[in-house]
Amino acid sequence: MRKWSILFAMAAISTVGCFVYSYFDPDWWLPNTARDMHRVVSTFGREIDNLFLIILFVTGGVFIITQVVLVAAMYRFPDRRDEQGRPVRKAVYSHGSQLLELIWTVIPAGILVFIALYQMGTWASIKYRGSAPRVPPLAEITARQFQWVMRYPGPDRKLNTADDLVVIDDLHFVKKQSVLIYLKSADVLHSFYLPQLRIKQDAVPGLTIPVWFDCDEAGEYELVCAELCGWGHYKMRGNVTVHETEKDLRRWIDEKLAEQGRSQLAMIPGSGSEGGDRDD
Amino acid sequence: MIWRSRLGWMLGCSFLAVAASGCSDAFNAGDLVYIEAPAMTQDLGPTQGNLKDKPRLREKVRAAMKELYGPDPQTIRVPKGMPLSNGGALLASHIEGGKDPGPHPILQVSATPGSAPAPQAGGYAIYRRNCLHCHGVSGAGDGPTAPFMYPTPRDFRPGKFKFTSTPSGRPPHRDDLRRTITYGLDGTSMPAFEPLLTPAEIEEVVDYVMFLSMRGQTELALIDEAATFEEGDAGEALDEETVQSLADSVFKMWRKSQSARLNPKVARTEPTRASILRGRDLFLASDCKDCHGRLAAGDGDSFIDQETFNKIVFGGNPSERARRAEELISRDSKKLWKDDWGNPLRPANLNKPMYKGGRRPIDLYWRIAKGINGAQMPGHYPSPFDDEKTWDIVNFVLALPYEPTLLTDAPQNAPAGTAVADARGR
Ligand code: HEC
Ligand code: HEC
Ligand SMILES: [Cu+2]
Repeated sequence: MRKWSILFAMAAISTVGCFVYSYFDPDWWLPNTARDMHRVVSTFGREIDNLFLIILFVTGGVFIITQVVLVAAMYRFPDRRDEQGRPVRKAVYSHGSQLLELIWTVIPAGILVFIALYQMGTWASIKYRGSAPRVPPLAEITARQFQWVMRYPGPDRKLNTADDLVVIDDLHFVKKQSVLIYLKSADVLHSFYLPQLRIKQDAVPGLTIPVWFDCDEAGEYELVCAELCGWGHYKMRGNVTVHETEKDLRRWIDEKLAEQGRSQLAMIPGSGSEGGDRDD
Repeated sequence: MIWRSRLGWMLGCSFLAVAASGCSDAFNAGDLVYIEAPAMTQDLGPTQGNLKDKPRLREKVRAAMKELYGPDPQTIRVPKGMPLSNGGALLASHIEGGKDPGPHPILQVSATPGSAPAPQAGGYAIYRRNCLHCHGVSGAGDGPTAPFMYPTPRDFRPGKFKFTSTPSGRPPHRDDLRRTITYGLDGTSMPAFEPLLTPAEIEEVVDYVMFLSMRGQTELALIDEAATFEEGDAGEALDEETVQSLADSVFKMWRKSQSARLNPKVARTEPTRASILRGRDLFLASDCKDCHGRLAAGDGDSFIDQETFNKIVFGGNPSERARRAEELISRDSKKLWKDDWGNPLRPANLNKPMYKGGRRPIDLYWRIAKGINGAQMPGHYPSPFDDEKTWDIVNFVLALPYEPTLLTDAPQNAPAGTAVADARGR
């Protein structure tokens, strides 16, 4: 029954094919910008993708080798029977090979130790508090079921004062600058996930966790919750806007602050929603 | 060889099972029906007419509702004169009867296979995808996730909304609904839909909320009208003209609200120390403290204490809340514990900078000037507060969370004005 070896060969080839295909399809590849699916837009993104690809190549290589050996063995030793339906070949009883076992234990162990050491720098620069950039925080972000409440310092540049700007689900910062935020949760575990920037950090009730990141291309990105936090988890999303310049960011904050300070309807310039009945 | 064929069977069957469960749309289609106002079949007390023992009148109301608004949520009819955008064309994706809807368009929501691709999803579809699980098919606030929420989702049918800019008790302005849906209600389960829907989609779903709300109000009006008839006179009740005029009066209220927003005559007073302290004195001298408490912690005398409240709300089977309330609140205490929709409620703790209806000065102006509909909080404008006084209180409310000493250090029974003098002396 050689045909089984062909089936398994096909399975292995199509699995490898999926990986190769994914490299050319933005929906399958790692989340990047729409313009260039292979350009990673953040410092940590490049480091993390580097690690990711090393692991992918190591595991991919091992996968291919083991599949080749597996299929070759199946092809070489199919079950054969004589006319009475009895096996033609005799089974051999063996205790295995100590040398082989040693090899396939030591090599993976070596690879694991290598990865563990190699990633330490990346981990430290993303998670150790000592590596947090010495910049004033951009915002304090409080996750709650099911939204992100974002509090930006107002004109006094201090957080948690009366002039703070408070918006829902709207993160704005400037490109090519280290950004620091404080992450909190008002109820349960959530996870602050910026897929294009490869940042993921759980929000834990009772803790204030600093998170820092950057982005070298202005544009629109997304923020999602990556910790199943209740029935509305799927809709816990936010818009991320990366501005070209500090001035653009300040303009946005000033606009929002002006709206937040609104005390009369007539202030709305050009909004047709006041006064008359424009429907029907 | 037997094991091989058995394996084949097992594989085949599991494939079929997966395919069948994936393809079935039993979950989607089904017959959607509007649920009826409780007054149709129950006696809810003297304030609301009911048709408890009047089956023929009930049928008349049902027939009139069907004629006006369509038989079920999937076949929407827009009555003549309903104040919706484009005569209701945003409610659904597939409109039967051509481009010009005419006076009685029937909007068939379920797009039939082969029909032209829909230009937009339509308010009904967006509502169904995003809101139905909380607010329910009929907008009764009875969706499947509603029982797990506090406060519970709004029942749109009585046409009452809390966070409005129109005169007390009136239907909301379109922009009020738009803001609620775009930014959510902070501190409640009502989410912000800004990142999930486009502005055009929000307009569509605003229309659908208005549709459900006016529909519910018409139903209540029809029941009220029918209840004035005896069952024997059912033949004369609710002729076509009466039905249309009852619906028209609902539409008229909504239409009037669209041009009746309260716009503060003067801009906000600068939030100076003096203004904040004047606001504090007004807070302590007026009825605010009776509900919100002397320290504005949401524990004033007009409401039952937190402990009793917790016993009523969380102390057992939710369906027996009314009985527990009966037991725990003595009849003559006249203390409040719920809102007009019958949901338990407490006054806001003003020491936290969390405002359901928005934190802009104008939002707080509206809350204080005209109260919160259905939530017991009364309006205070034009009396006892004029524009200046209202702004002083707004300034005080906005400052309090960052300065808790404003109330803890307030002089007991300060005669109005002394604090202001203090501030100037400082
Ligand atoms: C998670 C549940 C949930 C979902 C989903 C939800 N709502 Fe709500 N909604 C609420 C709750 C709870 C309230 C009442 C809050 C209160 O009374 O303080 C509310 C209140 C409202 C109000 C009344 C505001 C007022 O001024 O009284 C409107 C209008 C509304 N929702 C519209 C919508 C629309 C439209 C959608 C879908 C796009 C939606 N809601 C989705 C829970 C929900
Ligand atoms: C009869 C009771 C009552 C009185 C009097 C009252 N309130 Fe309230 N107030 C409430 C209740 C109840 C709520 C909570 C409504 C809700 O959560 O839906 C509330 C909510 C509020 C809010 C929060 C609004 C929001 O958007 O979340 C503010 C601010 C407020 N009240 C200020 C005042 C001020 C200032 C006064 C005096 C001028 C006052 N209240 C008088 C009962 C009262
Ligand atoms: Cu979450």
